[in-house]
Amino acid sequence: MTATATMRPVRNPDARRHRTRPGRWFRRHERVVLGSVGVIGLLLIWEIGSRMGLIEDFFFSRPTSIVAAGIKEVQIPRFWNDVRVSGFEFATGYIGAVVLAIPIGLIFGWYRRVSYMADPWLNLLNSLPRVALLPLIALWIGIGIESKIAVVFLGAFFSVVIPTVQGVRTVDRRFLDVAHSFGASQRRLFTSVVLPGTVPFVVTGLRLGIGRGLIGVVVGELYAQTDGLGVIISRASSNLQPDRMFFAILIFTFTGIVGVESLRRVERYFQRWRPVREER
Amino acid sequence: MAVISSSSRASRQHPPIRPRNPLARVPERLLFGVIGFVGVLILWEASVRLGFLKSSLISSPTGVIAAAITDFGNGSIQPHIGTSFLEWLVGFAAALVIAIPLGFALGSFRRAEFLVDPLLAALYATPTVALVPLIILLFGVGIQSKFAVVFLEAWVTLTVSTINGVQAADKRWLDIAQSFRASKWLTFRSVTVPSSIPFIITGIRIAAGRALVGVVVAEFIASNVGLGFYISVNGSFLNASRVMLGILLIGGFGIFVGEMIRRIERRFEAWRPAIN
Amino acid sequence: MLTGGLALSAKEIRMEYRDRQTRQELVAIERMDLDIPEGQFVTIVGPSGCGKSTFAKIVNGLLPATHGTVEVRKAANGRDHAMVFQDSSLFPWYSVLSNVAYGLVCQGVSKKEAQERAMPLIRLVGLDGFEQKYPYQLSGGMQQRANLARALTVDPELLIMDEPFAALDAQTRELMQAELLRIWNASNKTVLFITHQIDEAIFLSDRVVVMSARPGRIIADIAIDLPRPRELRVKRTPEFVAYEEKIWNLISIQLTSVGGRTGEAA
Repeated sequence: MTATATMRPVRNPDARRHRTRPGRWFRRHERVVLGSVGVIGLLLIWEIGSRMGLIEDFFFSRPTSIVAAGIKEVQIPRFWNDVRVSGFEFATGYIGAVVLAIPIGLIFGWYRRVSYMADPWLNLLNSLPRVALLPLIALWIGIGIESKIAVVFLGAFFSVVIPTVQGVRTVDRRFLDVAHSFGASQRRLFTSVVLPGTVPFVVTGLRLGIGRGLIGVVVGELYAQTDGLGVIISRASSNLQPDRMFFAILIFTFTGIVGVESLRRVERYFQRWRPVREER
Repeated sequence: MAVISSSSRASRQHPPIRPRNPLARVPERLLFGVIGFVGVLILWEASVRLGFLKSSLISSPTGVIAAAITDFGNGSIQPHIGTSFLEWLVGFAAALVIAIPLGFALGSFRRAEFLVDPLLAALYATPTVALVPLIILLFGVGIQSKFAVVFLEAWVTLTVSTINGVQAADKRWLDIAQSFRASKWLTFRSVTVPSSIPFIITGIRIAAGRALVGVVVAEFIASNVGLGFYISVNGSFLNASRVMLGILLIGGFGIFVGEMIRRIERRFEAWRPAIN
Repeated sequence: MLTGGLALSAKEIRMEYRDRQTRQELVAIERMDLDIPEGQFVTIVGPSGCGKSTFAKIVNGLLPATHGTVEVRKAANGRDHAMVFQDSSLFPWYSVLSNVAYGLVCQGVSKKEAQERAMPLIRLVGLDGFEQKYPYQLSGGMQQRANLARALTVDPELLIMDEPFAALDAQTRELMQAELLRIWNASNKTVLFITHQIDEAIFLSDRVVVMSARPGRIIADIAIDLPRPRELRVKRTPEFVAYEEKIWNLISIQLTSVGGRTGEAA
């Protein structure tokens, strides 16, 4: 049998097919467009499903109710007091943690033997959900605002100290060789090689610390309710006010996103010497 | 002209970067680790005996051991351990089974991922523990609510990690598969999945931790069994020894899980050069 | 003691180490003696893993030799030696200028003065105008120029170059070889150059030292009698090719002999 050779144009499956202007605009902004569609879609399904009785608004409420509850809430002075309290707990605990964790992390990372000694306990404390220490902390300092700050502190501290230690330990040996070969003193070695190389790790730790810190605020307030946004969540749930509850939850979500995004920018600033890379 | 000077290098001017005998390294790490660990225990015990620390607040190693002997002996603590472990295991396993395929699917279909991305990001950024009251409202105070909490925590993290893994597949390998005209399914199996594994394992590690937090918090708030409950109820009875015991058990569980994950990691990553 | 006119004198160097995985005692360098007069350009070639990079590190002081002594002459105001490393070892977080000035800063010179002293060298290596860029913005060849400038800034007597062009593509590599000769002519340094590329060794040096496979020792010390200044086309001349053949024969015996081992990092 004779084989017939067929000539096929080589086709690139990803070739641009959109010739129209709106078509091309959509392709470029696909991510944002689809993302918005997703969010709006979810809200619509939620709202409509709730109104039609498919989604039990007893538990889940609906977007419009949540917004309404939110509007009502922000007009109450008590709400702002709760925001202030939670904010204070977070800020104090977080900043305190960072201020201690970075130097300690640097020291532990730099002095090999010290870090070997600290490793077992650090690992234990790291494997432990810091929130499990709450009852112990409550035992020591009661259930006032100090205990919340303490939990935030612990959560953020370990999130920062462990990457920092890692950053110091994994500094690229090449650069150490270079510095040594030019006769750099230990101090100069530290400032010119170790510190810059550790920055990415530290910033990652700071980013993780925000999440852990927020968890600390919520858990602290759920466990021992005095004041704060977490208390709003708890009270709203026992008063069967899901709309208020969601509103409070969304505030935490918002804070988390804002915090992480800001840190991403800080990260980018400190890393302008890095080649630009697509990173989530 | 140049000043003649000599420097003999046989004796070191600055400490060697690499010790000539790497064999000596291993014991040092172990040695200092043990010193650190035992040292703290001894300090702890000594401080309590000497009165620097109040044993009613922080107990002591011997106190904790005594409480352990009692509670393990009369079987009162085992149900707590078992329940917490079960809650964690079931919720986590369910999350694994659902999140990983979902993550693969979302990661592979760009548009689907765009759709879901903001929602996932919001979920990931939310301290899931804030949803615990809602979940308890939905599922009651029984073990189901704990399953749900663990599932939610783990699922979000695992999905996000899996998506990251799929998207991070090196274009080079994908190009190679394409040039050999591999089917989409084959490409998925031979390139995407293996290169996602490190990300998935990282996700597992993070999810395991977050799931444990979920267990503890859910048990704090609404439970009458479990290690979280054990700790909080003993806290209100001012029984520091049992509180410490519970905390150590949870910590031990965390370490155990971490170690298991590390072993799995080693098996799956035998092909990777050791990352220093 | 350094006898007159010698920039480097290495005697009875021996290097042993313990393999991390097999826990065996291995000999990287069996014995090396090397004297380099001032102003000479000497290259060490050898098969992969023969210990030439190890030797460079020993001379540089980064590794302690198991046995033997190394003496390096110290220039009047400068250091005794400086090393140009293999791959891009510029600190990615410093600008080119800060990188080049680094050696001086390590010696305690003020940043401002160090940078002033670094500029002429940046110009010498042809990076004028790039001093504020970060390393990632430079090509491989440019990064190695900066590397070279950094080493030259501390005014060393001996310049140690450990396979500096290994990471460059073939064409850039040839250009850099010519550039290096130009810079060397202008700065009058003694150079100890390490490479595994034979034509590179012959083109650049006054003397080529051939090492055996591990355990390393010197099996030949060949004077290169080609006139200077050299241009790239000298590589096609019959004299050059003759040197290449000679050295290649010496090395290929090493590669195929029972005692030789290839494919292991030096």
